[in-house]
Amino acid sequence: MTTTLNRSATPGAAKPKPTFKQRLSIFDVKASPYFYVAPFFILFALVGLFPLVYTFFVSLFDWHLLKGQGQFVGLENFAEILQDRFFWNSLFNTVSIFVLSAVPQLALALFLAAVLDQNLRAKTFWRMSILLPYIVTPVAVAMIFTNMFGEQYGLINNILGNFGLDPVMWKNETFPSHVAIATMVNWRWTGYNALILLAAMQAVPRDLYESAALDGAGAVRRFFSITLPSIRPTMVFVVITATIGGLQVFTEPRLFDPATAGGSQRQFQTTVLYLWEMAFQRQNFGKASTIAWLLFLIIVLFGFINYLISRRIATADAGRPSRAARRTIAARKRAERTNR
Amino acid sequence: MKFSRRNTAAAIAGAAALALIATGCAGSSDQPAGAGNPVELTVTTFGTFGYEGLYAEYEQANPGVTIKATNIDRGSNARTDAFTKLAAGSGLTDVVAIEEGWLGSIMEVSDQFVDLKDHGAADIQANWVDWKFKQGTDPAGRVIGYGTDIGPQGLCYNGKLFEAAGLPSDRESVAKLFGGQDATWEKYFELGKQYKAATGKAWYDQSGFVWNSMVNQMEEGYYTKDGELNVDGNKEMKGKFEMLAAGTAAGLSANQTQWDWGNGKAFVDGSFATFVCPGWMLGTIKGQLESAGGGAGSGWDFADVFPGGASNWGGAFLSVPKTSEHPAEAAKLAAWLTAPEQQVKQSAAANNFPSTLKAQEKLVQDATPNVLFNNAPTGAILANRAKGVVAQFKGPDDSVIQENVFGPALKSLDAGTADAGKAWSEALRLLNDLVVNN
Repeated sequence: MTTTLNRSATPGAAKPKPTFKQRLSIFDVKASPYFYVAPFFILFALVGLFPLVYTFFVSLFDWHLLKGQGQFVGLENFAEILQDRFFWNSLFNTVSIFVLSAVPQLALALFLAAVLDQNLRAKTFWRMSILLPYIVTPVAVAMIFTNMFGEQYGLINNILGNFGLDPVMWKNETFPSHVAIATMVNWRWTGYNALILLAAMQAVPRDLYESAALDGAGAVRRFFSITLPSIRPTMVFVVITATIGGLQVFTEPRLFDPATAGGSQRQFQTTVLYLWEMAFQRQNFGKASTIAWLLFLIIVLFGFINYLISRRIATADAGRPSRAARRTIAARKRAERTNR
Repeated sequence: MKFSRRNTAAAIAGAAALALIATGCAGSSDQPAGAGNPVELTVTTFGTFGYEGLYAEYEQANPGVTIKATNIDRGSNARTDAFTKLAAGSGLTDVVAIEEGWLGSIMEVSDQFVDLKDHGAADIQANWVDWKFKQGTDPAGRVIGYGTDIGPQGLCYNGKLFEAAGLPSDRESVAKLFGGQDATWEKYFELGKQYKAATGKAWYDQSGFVWNSMVNQMEEGYYTKDGELNVDGNKEMKGKFEMLAAGTAAGLSANQTQWDWGNGKAFVDGSFATFVCPGWMLGTIKGQLESAGGGAGSGWDFADVFPGGASNWGGAFLSVPKTSEHPAEAAKLAAWLTAPEQQVKQSAAANNFPSTLKAQEKLVQDATPNVLFNNAPTGAILANRAKGVVAQFKGPDDSVIQENVFGPALKSLDAGTADAGKAWSEALRLLNDLVVNN
């Protein structure tokens, strides 16, 4: 008994103690990956998470921009903002501008990408030129478009006037102002989205198209049955980024009428613009933080809905035909192999 | 373990050294600038200040000082800039220009600015028009701003358009036409209707500026002297609003976009014939005419008259925030820039009107003709217009009331979408939402 006891005790002692170097290398293997990914999370915590949490903290107080922290009011700011007619007005404007910009923008981007995906001469030239609007600063874009959409001296109203038509009140009427701002947004982002979609289209195997063409599928059919389903993940990405960007639109409406915060009667005051007015004109930092948080929640909600919808559209439209197409290709390949 | 502890110690030592270096830099600030101690002073102004030449002059006279200047396009953007940086607690330049309209907000946090009395403000107090110096002093008696210009108002009018309408066009006759010393707003609107009948064109560019002039003229504006809101139930103010609304309803407003005017085209194409002109506005008009390709031939002139008597609109102050690393040098620069000799030069460059007595006298003596305004001696006229101006108390939300409460209401009058009663009640509703229940 004693020997066995001794024996059982000795193997542990006999096991060589790992040297410092060894221990270091074990530590290296185990911990290094976390250090490699840490910079992102540290940065995110610093510039993403902390502001988010701090904004929520501020939203619980009466907080004056210049005078700083005041009384704790709990969720009172949220209750007040949810009853604020200007908040709902800004939300309506944001969604309206978003719909007017995202839908035509993505449709046009898809079309442009499909065209650029064909065998064109001077491909790079065309691809670069659709990105050109994106690299122009928004301020310059806004200046040019503000001149075009001027009510009394604008280019568009001048042209309308030459045809004897009434001028459009681009800044004083709600719908025209939304169209004008959506135009600016579209001009800037269509090329960018087209390029991303193009990259996805380039990855679609060419033999799919060839087989479909041999089967007698026209260009339109090929686009809807092969291209669209194949780039679905990219579509989802583009739709979601467009949603986030669209709900945060600020520069274009801000510069469309620099003298007011989104139109004299708030015709095109978006939510971010209202947040800005609340913080820097009304100097109510608590309520501004509340708006920021509500906007955050709304964007998350919209992003989720969008994700569901865009998944559904991509599958419903083209799920079956694509599977059928794939089957025919597989069948043809099999046939080819047996022929050989 | 020892290894890592040594590392931590090293890191702490390093950080401490960095902190020492940082504070060391700030510590040297009290030394006066010179060839051996170069100091960079940053300055933020807005609109047309005309300081470019003066910066160069100051740099030459004070070796070791370099000035880095930023000019923001308009006052409202400068306000956002200043407020953001005040809230953040950093980022303000060594010298900051503050507009009269948002001085009320600044006064609520006046302890964030250097008391200029520590840098000799009391010695030069007599330079300024009395009320201007008082405006820059907070309730505790700390001087937080040296006055630059003030905004006595005269009447800009377009001589060519007046002639076309059969009205007299020379300055003296125009001043008489409006009633000289006894000019009233009633007369102004009556003449507007005459002009409209003769030409079919508008009389003023938009209602907003006329309204600002009317309110600035009152003994108490949006706030009483005691700092109480003074809009709801203010019969005098409502009466003026109705008068303006009636004028606009008669087609006297050209419904122009404030601060834009179609990139100045409205000043060239005869859209309107009169314009309310505080001193600094002459510089604005100059910029507008230049961007629209207009010039001395556009017909604009400046008359020594103003409806309703003396009126002051705006004017700025130069302040030194507590965050400045070189408060003494910054205060010295601010005092120099606002001294009478420099105010005269500023007035020539920016077309505005000085706030120091000696500079005003000089403008009267010189009576330099202003080419852009049909050779009118604009400086001398403004000196005359400044007589009897009383400083109005500006409350903390003065600029919000002007822009966000009355702005939309007046715009709806201009656009013809509301009558006087509807516009006034909309203004009150906005006041309630934006100021009272903010």
